[in-house]
Formats: sequence, C-alpha cells, structure tokens
Amino acid sequence: MRLLVLAGWLIAIAVLALGVRHMLVVSSDLRSFMPPAQTADQKLLLDQIGEGPASRLLLLDISGEPVLNEHVAGGHLAPERLAALSRALALALKNDARFVRVLNGEGDLAALDPKLLPYRFLLSPTLDGAQFDAAYLRDQLQQRIEDLASPAASLLKPMLARDPTGEILILAQRWTPAHTPQLCAGVWCDKQGGALLLVETRAAAFDPSAQEAAIAALRDAYAALPDAGAARLIISGPGYFSVLAATRTRAEAEWLSALGTAGFVLLLLFAYRSATLLLLAALPIASGALAGVVATALVFGPIHGITLAFGFTLLGVAQEYPIRLFSHRRAGASAQESLRGVWPLLRLAIVSACIAYVAFFASGVPGLQQLATFTIVGLLVAGAATRWLLPRVLPAQFQDVAEARWLERLRARLDALPRLRWVPWTLLLLALVLLFVAPTPLWQNDLAALTPVPAELLKREGELRGALGAPDVRYLLVLEAPSDDGVLALSEKISAQADAWIAQGKVDDVELPSRYLPSLATQRARQAKLPERAALAQALTEAQRDSEFEPGLFAPFLDDVDAARALPLLTPQVFATSLIGGRLGAMLSARDGEWLGIATLSGVHDPDAIASIAATTNGAARLLDLKAASESLVASYRARIGVALLVALVLLSLAVALAFRDATRAWHVIAPMSLATLLALALLRAGGVSLSLFHLVALTLAAGLGLHYALFFERQVDDPAEARRTLHATIICVLSAVLVFGLLAASSVPVLRAIGATVALGVGFHFCLSTIMARNSQQRPCDSLPRP
Amino acid sequence: MAALIAKLALPAPADTAYAETRFVHVLRKPLQLRGELHYGGPGVLGKRVDAPYRETTNIANGEVEVQREGKSARKFSLERAPELEALLSSFSALLGGDAAGLEHNFTIALSRSDAYWQLTLTPRAAALSRHLRDIVVDGRDTEVRCVTLHEGDGDSSVMRLATLAAASVSEPTPATLAALCRGSAR
Repeated sequence: MRLLVLAGWLIAIAVLALGVRHMLVVSSDLRSFMPPAQTADQKLLLDQIGEGPASRLLLLDISGEPVLNEHVAGGHLAPERLAALSRALALALKNDARFVRVLNGEGDLAALDPKLLPYRFLLSPTLDGAQFDAAYLRDQLQQRIEDLASPAASLLKPMLARDPTGEILILAQRWTPAHTPQLCAGVWCDKQGGALLLVETRAAAFDPSAQEAAIAALRDAYAALPDAGAARLIISGPGYFSVLAATRTRAEAEWLSALGTAGFVLLLLFAYRSATLLLLAALPIASGALAGVVATALVFGPIHGITLAFGFTLLGVAQEYPIRLFSHRRAGASAQESLRGVWPLLRLAIVSACIAYVAFFASGVPGLQQLATFTIVGLLVAGAATRWLLPRVLPAQFQDVAEARWLERLRARLDALPRLRWVPWTLLLLALVLLFVAPTPLWQNDLAALTPVPAELLKREGELRGALGAPDVRYLLVLEAPSDDGVLALSEKISAQADAWIAQGKVDDVELPSRYLPSLATQRARQAKLPERAALAQALTEAQRDSEFEPGLFAPFLDDVDAARALPLLTPQVFATSLIGGRLGAMLSARDGEWLGIATLSGVHDPDAIASIAATTNGAARLLDLKAASESLVASYRARIGVALLVALVLLSLAVALAFRDATRAWHVIAPMSLATLLALALLRAGGVSLSLFHLVALTLAAGLGLHYALFFERQVDDPAEARRTLHATIICVLSAVLVFGLLAASSVPVLRAIGATVALGVGFHFCLSTIMARNSQQRPCDSLPRP
Repeated sequence: MAALIAKLALPAPADTAYAETRFVHVLRKPLQLRGELHYGGPGVLGKRVDAPYRETTNIANGEVEVQREGKSARKFSLERAPELEALLSSFSALLGGDAAGLEHNFTIALSRSDAYWQLTLTPRAAALSRHLRDIVVDGRDTEVRCVTLHEGDGDSSVMRLATLAAASVSEPTPATLAALCRGSAR
C-alpha cells in the first residue's frame, strides 16, 4: 500500500513536471514586474526601457592590445587587421535579425539618399536667408572656383555641376554628429588604435535573456572571424551590464544554494538519522512548486523570471511542513494519528499565509499577482501533500525525537527561563529608536545599486561612450505635439536655444528631429522661394557671364530646382525609406493621439539649464531624467508592496484571531511575530541598509516562518514529550532557515545579501521572541511535574 | 633615391612662394594662383593664396581650417577625407625629406638627366588612385622646382616653387609647364 501511494505520488509529480516543461515560458522583461505607469515620464520610461535607442546600444571595442609586440615590430600591420576585423564583424551581424544596425564608421551616414537629391533645397536652410538670384549665384560660383583650387578639389568636383550652391555639403555638415570617433584604416578607432563599433540590438536592455542571446550571437560572430585570435572583443553598454548582473547573481545564488542544500541535508540526516526520510521530505515542496508553476502558467501564460526566483524563496516556508510531521511522530501511533495533533495549527499557518498573499493581488502589478498565485497554490499543495500523502509513505520504523536527552535538557532550561515581561517592551522601544536614528535613507530607489556594475567596467563604458559620441542614457529631450509635423515645428522653434546650449558648453550635442527634416511649413516656404526655370536660367547666365565655368555646365542644377518646385513636401513617412530618414523615424512616435519626439543629448553638463526649456515652451518640450523617472516608478511600486504587506499582516492577524476565537491567544502569536519583524527591520536600518523590494519580500518570508514558531510555541499541550517534539521541529526549522539564508547573506551580490541577511535575522528574532512571548503559561506547572 | 629625398628636406619652419596652374575640365581657362606655402614640421602645412583672391588654409593635427576673405573660417577633419589625408601627409613627407613616409603611400620612380631629376609617386591604395593618378616632383640638385598632381578624372595641377614661382607663363598648357619643370624649355 505504502509503495503504491508513493508510486502514484511520484507519477503525479512526473506528470506535473512534464506539464511544466510544456507550459513554462519564462519572460524576463522587467516591465511586467513594474506597476502601471502613473505619470507621463514613467510611461516614457517604460517605453524607453523597452524601445529606447540609447539603452539598446552595445559599444564594441576590438582591441589590438595582445598584438602590441607585433605592432611594434611589424610597423603598420595592426590598424589594417583591426579594420578588417571590424568590417568582417559588421558584415556578419548585418543580416542577423537580433541586431537593428551595426555602425563601424564606414559609409557616409550623413549622405542624402540620391533618390531624394532634389529635396535638398527644401531640407537645407540656405533659402531661409537667400534668393537664387544672379548676385547670390555669382558669389556661389566664385566660391566653387575657390573650392576647385583648394586641396579638397577632387572631393568637391563630382557634385559641382548638379549642386553649385553647395547644399549637399551643407546637409552633410548638418547631419554629421558633433562628435564621431577618429578613423583608422577607414573605420572608427580609439586612441589605442582599437576598432570601435556601435551595435543596436532589437532586444531591450532590461530584457536580460534576449540581451544574453544577442551578446552570445555577437561573441560567436566575432569568434568565427578568421583573424579573431589576433585581437580581443570588448563589449560594453546597458544591455551588457544587465546580462553581467544576471549571470553573476545566478552563479552566486547557485553555488550558495548548493552549499545551503548540502548543509540542510546534513542537518536533516542528523535530526532524523534516515536517508529515506530525507528524500521523502523533498516530495511535498516539489509537488507544491510544480503545481504553483502550472497554476501560474495556466492563469497568466508566460511566467516572469523574478516570479520564479521569489516564488521559490517564499515557498521555503513549506519546507517546515514535513519537518513538523517527522518531529511529531510518537511511539504507538501511526503517522496520520501523530499528525492529527498538530494539523489544526499547521492548517491555520498555511491558510493564514495564503490569505495574506491574497493582498498581493490588490497591488495591480502583474508580477506580484503571479507571485501570489504561485505561492498560494504552492503552499496549499505542499500542505495537502504533507497532510494526506506523506504520512502514508513514511517508513514504519522511526525514532521518537522526544527521547533525545539534549532536547529534554533544553526544554527544561527554556521553561526555567524567567518570563521577562519587560523584555518585549524594551525591545519595541529600542527598535523604534534604531529606526528613528538610522543613518541612511530609508529606501534604496536605485535598482542598479542592487546589482552594481564593477567600477572598472563603468569607467571603460564612459570612455567608449565618449569616444563613440554615443548619446546619454540618462537624459532625453522630449517634444510633444498633436502631430508629427507639430513635433518638427516645435523642434525648429527650440533649435536656436539648443545651439546656444552647445555654444555655452551646457551640452555637447542635441540631436533634434528638425536637424534631419524641417516642418512642412518651413519646407513650403523654401519651396515657394525656388525660382521658375526660365528665371533661374537667366540669373545663372548673368552670374556666369564673367566666370570661367563652361556654359551649360549647370543644366543638372536647373533640372533639380525645377523638380523641387513640384515635389510633394517630404513627410517623415516618405523620408523613412532613406538611411537618414530612418534615424528620424526612430525619434518620432505616436501615442494616445499625441506625437512624441525624442531628442537625444550627448555630454550633458548642465541638466538644470536644459530643464528650463519646459518653462519657455509651456511644457511641450521638456527634459526627461530617466533615472529620476525610474526611481519614482520604483517608489510607487514599493508603496504598493508596502500597502500589500500591511494588508497581509492585518489579514493574517484576523485569520489567527478568528481561528482561536480568543484575543489573548491570538496576541501571543501575533505580538512576537510583529515585534520580530520590526526588530529585524530596525537592525538592518541601524546597520546602514536602505530598504528595497527585496528586503520587503524577505521580511514577508521571515514573518511567515515566524508565524509557525509562534503558533507552535503557543500550542497548549499537556504532554511534556509532545512539547519536546514541538521544540525539536522548531529548532530544526530555525537552524535550516538560518543556515540557508545565512549563507546567502555572505554573498557579494547585494540582492542576495539583502534577502539572506533579512531572512536570517528575522528568523533568529522570531525564534527568540516566540520562546519568550508565546510560551503558554498553563504549561509550566504540568511540565514541572516529576516524570514517571 | 632615398638620399635624394633626404637632401630635399626643408628646415622647419620654412616658407616658399608658389605659382599654381590648375587645369579643370569644367572651366574654360586654367586657374592660376599665387601665394606662399608654409612648412611647419611634420604634419603642419599652410597654403596661402594671394591672387586672384585671398584664402588661407592651415593644416595641423589632422584638422584643416580654411579662411576666406570676408567669410567665417571653415574647419574639417582630415579623417573625414582619407584621400586628402594621404596626399597631404605625402606632401609633408616630401618637404620633410622623409622617404619612408612617402613610400608608405606611394611607389616611387626616379629618373635623372644631368642635374635635373624627376620623382614619380604612384599611389599604392586603390581608394587613393581613383582620385589621384600620380604625383610628379621635378627638381634640380637639391631644389624642388615643381609638384604636379594628375587627378583621376584627367584634371591636373602644376605648382611651381622657389625659383620657378616667379616665372611668368602666358597661355599655359600641361605640356609647356611640364617642359618648364623638367628644365627642357631652357
């Protein structure tokens, strides 16, 4: 019978596992774990995180440092070889769907598409202040003569006949970024000669798994190049950092968990001296975890990676269930009968925890709702499995833990402790004082601080960003208007201000949308100034009268002006088909019936001065500080979690009070739990820790564990042996929690440290306070009777 | 040949007058310019046009600055124009007597007749030879007389230096100038 149940159970677990394999789609887009955006800035932030071009840029440096000796010995070989690597890598990535574009400095980015050449008269500002009359043309022709005599003549000559007024050059200068890297052998390079590339990934920077795939593809493409070994590929950028942080966190979490599990196994072996029990103890929590995943996948579809990580952490409470069963087995009773005694308490613990997690649903954050679903289903299934399945598969042989000598002595010593009624109140006061005088800000709003990037990498990132002239990832100028053309008009309106900022050194460059495309009104005005063919031909003849240019040379110019007069005005949509128009297209987006223009900034030195633009444009143009917006988003997120947790605590207390129908007993359970949570909080704050979401989740877990300790200590038992069993179970639970989470607290990754230290501290406090405050007073006379 | 080039080295800074004739196919008549060249050491060049208009071009640290009379200065980086950079660095190498620097970008052929000599520099890189067929340098003893550029599109430019700069040439053609530079028009 026992084996039959076990086999059935294992088959059920296998079926669940199979289901998980089929259904589990892990998403890693952090946005699903964020609250709905409240402000316009937060909305933009979420868009920018997902789609912002600046955050999706990877900065590459093909460094030739390992071939330094060869470079010295062989003269000029290295730059050409690095350039060849840069070209080959760009070519290899060009057709990879994971990358939007790859730039290495080759090709003229600022060139107007040949198909659009007649549009140059509408795009260039020349006609704003000039007329194509004889006087203007004569001056231009004289300048072209001088161009022909200049050292750059061979570069200027090819376009001369078509463009005697030099519009192509004007546009090229206008469209060339203010700061671009120098060229070595035709491709971008840094001061050390390493080849520089800019790669835009399709995946968002904060989608670590998609970024990881892109970066792996990048590395593979580089490794496949024939000359790859001669140099080193260095990657930088926000996406790379998010991958780095995720990898580092995962690696450390894995080995610390492995260590923790090993310790836990040893602890259980020591406590129960049975390998079979050890294996069986894993079954309820495994069933719970699998059921939780299946349920969450059924309700939500893709599960967020954070849900899984936090969910498994919170599900750690369920590890207590089998331990309670094992410790409470007593001689002369079946496992089921032994369990029956503690089941009401265990059931109360499970149900109240589940009720508490319902509060997460109210948060409105999809990730938290997933987490609640996962945890509630997991706890219920693990609890049910412990109640109805585990007792049936336990071996008949066992050792009653109540017979252990050390336990008897410990129990006696605990009971002998004076009931220090003043201690909790003193602790409460102390906690409040500590909370009040804590030296650091209460909240850690900067999520990046929890997975910090090594300073040396940040320094290199700064150098590369500077060398590549890549836009600032923190600040953006946002232009808002009812139409895309309205955005362009607004952009034209503030362009003089932007030029002033650059001149005053407040910012290195402002890439406004109107740099690439003027508004329709401006285009129309320029078009209206283009003379008719006959008039232009006459003016040109007059201008050419005493010049050396061959007569009839400028016929292509006459053709282009004639064509430009009849052109439909250039819209962003039509312009988007060209390279430069694509750049404009990335800056414009429609949302909620409004159009937004995003102007990227490079080298922001005085954000306050730039922020003042909002006042002069009635808020239509404003500086967006992505860092501030993300911090405000985190703050509102945290507020929601905080409220959810408070509601959870209230629900939990109500559940316990209702179950006991006795306020004093409920107080004995809830008071130590609340005080211990407060103490853990106070100690963290006194240690200079600023709180984050992770601390809050960890405190919740600790409170869940604390509830168990308090419930079982408060339990009224007449039998001292049964009291010893309770103590045994609780000690095993406390030790295992402190062991596993204490190890995490030793991690070098702040996130893991936050969770580990908080839970370990919390569990310690919960245990101590429960022994002091939750001990049942009626138990003492009974327990002090001489044993037969 | 390297010895000859080394002997051509000018002590920096050095200034020398020039007279330049440019044959450009879009123009009916060749352009004639007069002015002064400045050599300020490796990579530092200046070209001043005095007639028929005034213009100053300074090249230093890979930056070109063109100043025309009555106009604001225009600046651009030589890195944006690699062909121009090769040409100018070669010019600087020639004035500095740096044969190795010249040979980095060009294959060099030397012919002599009495005291007269002629160096023909042919670009090594295809990208450069599209714009520049060759550079011919004529001289006598240790003096450079002419630098002639043959551009990819058939246009050419003859720059007469030092003693030849003052010579007046009416109705110049590429052939008459070539003869003058080679010294065969004595």
